[in-house]
Order: sequence, then structure tokens, then C-alpha cells
Amino acid sequence: MTSEVSTTAETAAAVAGPVIEVRDAGIRFRRNRRGRRSFKDLFAGRRRRLRPDEFWALRNVSFAVQPGEAIGVVGRNGQGKSTLLKLVAEVVLADEGTVSVRAGVAPLIEITGGFVDDLSVRDNVYLTAGLHGMSRREVDERFAEIIEFAEIGAFLDTPYKHLSSGMKVRLAFSVISRLEEPILLVDEVLAVGDRGFREKCYARIQELLDGGRTLFFVSHSERDLRRFCTRGLYLDRGRLVLDAPIDEVLARYAADTGH
Amino acid sequence: MTSAALQAPLRERATGSRRYRQILWLLTSRDLRVRYSTSALGYVWSILDPLVMAGIYWFVFTQVFQRDVGEEPYIVFLLSALLPWMWFNGAVSDSTRAFLREAKLVRSTKIPRTIWVNRLVLSKGIEFLFSIPVIAAFAIFGGATLTGWIVLLPLAIVLQAVLTAGVGLIVAPLVVFFRDLERAVKLTLRFLFYASPIIYSARDLPEGLHFWAAFNPLSGLFSLYRASFFESELDWFLVGISAVMSVLLLAVGLAVFARTERAVLKEI
Repeated sequence: MTSEVSTTAETAAAVAGPVIEVRDAGIRFRRNRRGRRSFKDLFAGRRRRLRPDEFWALRNVSFAVQPGEAIGVVGRNGQGKSTLLKLVAEVVLADEGTVSVRAGVAPLIEITGGFVDDLSVRDNVYLTAGLHGMSRREVDERFAEIIEFAEIGAFLDTPYKHLSSGMKVRLAFSVISRLEEPILLVDEVLAVGDRGFREKCYARIQELLDGGRTLFFVSHSERDLRRFCTRGLYLDRGRLVLDAPIDEVLARYAADTGH
Repeated sequence: MTSAALQAPLRERATGSRRYRQILWLLTSRDLRVRYSTSALGYVWSILDPLVMAGIYWFVFTQVFQRDVGEEPYIVFLLSALLPWMWFNGAVSDSTRAFLREAKLVRSTKIPRTIWVNRLVLSKGIEFLFSIPVIAAFAIFGGATLTGWIVLLPLAIVLQAVLTAGVGLIVAPLVVFFRDLERAVKLTLRFLFYASPIIYSARDLPEGLHFWAAFNPLSGLFSLYRASFFESELDWFLVGISAVMSVLLLAVGLAVFARTERAVLKEI
């Protein structure tokens, strides 16, 4: 797995081929969190067989994403959409198969996760941007932009915990979307925040897409999916049922769910 | 916001070990900053704890009992093992919560996972370095003199970093699955405090125990630290066994960590 590789736009373009390549990926989870667990299970490695209290959240999933593609992931709740996104973000690891991500990722998943309650907004921006790979100098250059986008200029020295939940999400989105990574992963984070800000986020995503970024988008909103995505992945019971243009995927999804 | 800025070529991001160090440092300085920005006494807390402990032992062993362990001045003898112990104890007991406390952050970034343990070793190690002036002050007022073996201090620090990281890498992932381990570790640490030559010297042990005490890697480690003030404390047999044990523990730690990482990420 090439988890540490991040490349510039030029080299990414020079190296022809997919930026994301998922081959026969599978991941299993335990059904019951309180189930018994033994040392033997823990050290048994990848190849052990499935235990009765486990299930495959995803299995035999294969696809490749070319640079600049905008992919929408469709499926009912609990069919593996978010898990797939986490696999691509490499915050969980596959039990079977491989997931190769050959460019840097800006993950809009649990975006407020990196922020520390006791530190000021300013410190938090440097911290989170740094954890995602930005150097201090880069943050210096972008700092004004980040704050302006989050509309949070008056609270620079306020401890993060005193911000309203709307401000927290705005700040987090602003930082992550400013990472300038070639791949953008968007989970349904944008369901929060007021309508005005959501529209601003969408405009920002559109801008990033126009700039040649690859988008991986999970949503229940047909309108949003049609707006950004050209290609769709339809997941059902942990399998990739259909990989086709977004209109076709949405039609199939609508037919299956009876809308 | 201009779209020209967005079209700008993407910059090369630090990769590999440079990125690892960059993030390690970022998290460590965050730890220190949080600690010092949320308490009025800040730095004082990190030396107050060992000072109070040292004060108690000094009182008990020099004023109450007629002590026949350790060396003169006793307070310097005590602190030269107690301060490194605070580092070991702090990092290992914090590592029981390494993943649980930062669960949200672990779930949202793909930074190399050993950082969650190593940053604890580093930040407690830095606190240890900050506390060295305390022992220097006591040495000056107590009339202790440095020996040439002070040159071994960097070796002692490296050895302790290896040992502490090794233990932390074993403890941190296992606690995620076996929560009882958190309390077991605390209990073991308390036992280890008295089982290690901190308030006494390894030479004070009964003859029969000396050999077995060597397999506590802290024995050799503290012997190395104490050699800076007390030449007779240096025991190469202890140091050798300690070094071997530390490297072994680190190897085991890395293996355990690699084996359990996948399951840890699912569990938190």
C-alpha cells in the first residue's frame, strides 16, 4: 500500500494511470462490540476465517479512479458508503485486497476531529493544517484566506470550545478545503451549517473540481450528486453493484428503492 | 478569494521520515502548549510532583529511619533515579489512553500510527529534560560532584527512549481491546517503582536477587543515570542486560503494534 506518497500536480499528470485503485478490497467488522475477543484472534492476521459474530462491511470491491474524475457514492444507509470513503482516506485498513491512493488526500470526514478545545482558533488552524501535511509557511500564506472563508475573524484568540457548533464546522471545512491536495473526499458533513454557508462550501468544491481535483463524494441528495459527479458507484450490502455514469446509477438506485 | 490561487501548482509535501518528525513535533508541542496554557503554574507542576515525592522519601529515610541504603547526599541519589522514573511512569501510564483519548483524531487522519505512542515518549522526555535543573540545584547545595561518567547521560536517555517506546507500543493497542489492562498497567507500575532501584541502590539488594534484578531493564538504566554523580553505582552487567532487554522490548512492541493496527482502527 502506498500510503505515504504524495505528488505534485505535474508528476501526477506525468504518471498516467489511476490516482485511486481499489482491488478486491474487503473489510469485516464485529457485529457485537461487546463480544468476547481473545489474544488468538488479535494476532491471527489477515488470512483467518470469518468468525460467527463478524460480517463483511465491504467485499470484492474493485474500481479505479482517474485524475480529475468526480465520483458519487450511492446506497442506502449501512451499505458500506462511509466505510469505502474511510478506506480511500486510509484511516481504516482493508482485511482483503489492496487500496492504493497515489496522491494526497483532503478528507472532509469527521472534520472537527483534529481540533483541540483548549487552544485558540489560531493555534488550531496551524495544528490541523500541520497534521494534514501543510508546512508552517504554507499556513502563514493561507491563514487570512482560511479565516475569511470561515467568517471567524473576530474570534482568532477565542478558545475553540467557546465557538458555536456552526462556527466549528465552518472553520474545519475552511482548513481542510484549503489543503490543496489532489483528491477531495466529502462525506455528508455539509448537512450541517446554515444554507448560506452550505452554498459557499458547494461553490468551493466546484472551484476545486474546476481546478482539476479528483472528487469522491458520499451523499443522499440526488441534486448534489448530479451537480458535482459524472460517475457513480452504487453499493448494496457491501458489494459494488454498479459502476456507471451518475444518471444511470441514480436511476437504478431509484428503481431499487422504489422512489 | 481568487481562482488564480487555486490553479497554482500543488506544492511538494514533506514525505517519509521528514513528515513523521514534523507531525511528531507538532503533536508534542501541542501537548506541552495545552498543559502550560491551561494551568497557572505551568512548568512548576512538572517539577513539583517529583520534588514532593523526593521530599517525602528524603524525610522518611534520612530523618525517621536510620538509613543504610543509597549514597550521600541522599536527595541527589534519590532524584537521579526518580526523575527518569517520572518520565517512564508518565509515558507508560499515558500510553494506556494513547488511542482512546485521541480517537477522533486517529479516525480522521492517516498519519503513521506509531506517532500516537512516540509523541507521549517525546513530550514526557522533554519534561524530564526540563527537570534536570532541579537536580543540578540540589547537587550544588548538597555538595555532590559530577564524575566523568556524565558522558554516559546521552546514552541513558537514548536507552530510556527505546525502552519506554517499546513498552508503550505494546500497551497502547492492547488496552483498546482489553480495558482491564489499563488498571493492570497502573498496578504494575506501582509495583515496579518499589521493585526498581530508586529509593535504594541495586547494590543494596540481597546477593541472591542481584542477578534477577538485572532483568528489570530499569535497574541498568538507573545505574547509568546515577553514574553521573556516584561512580560506584555504575554496573556494566546491569547496563548490558538493560540494553538488550530494551531493544528486545522495542522489537516486540513494533511487532505487536503492526499486528494489531488494523483491528485498533476498527475498534476506536
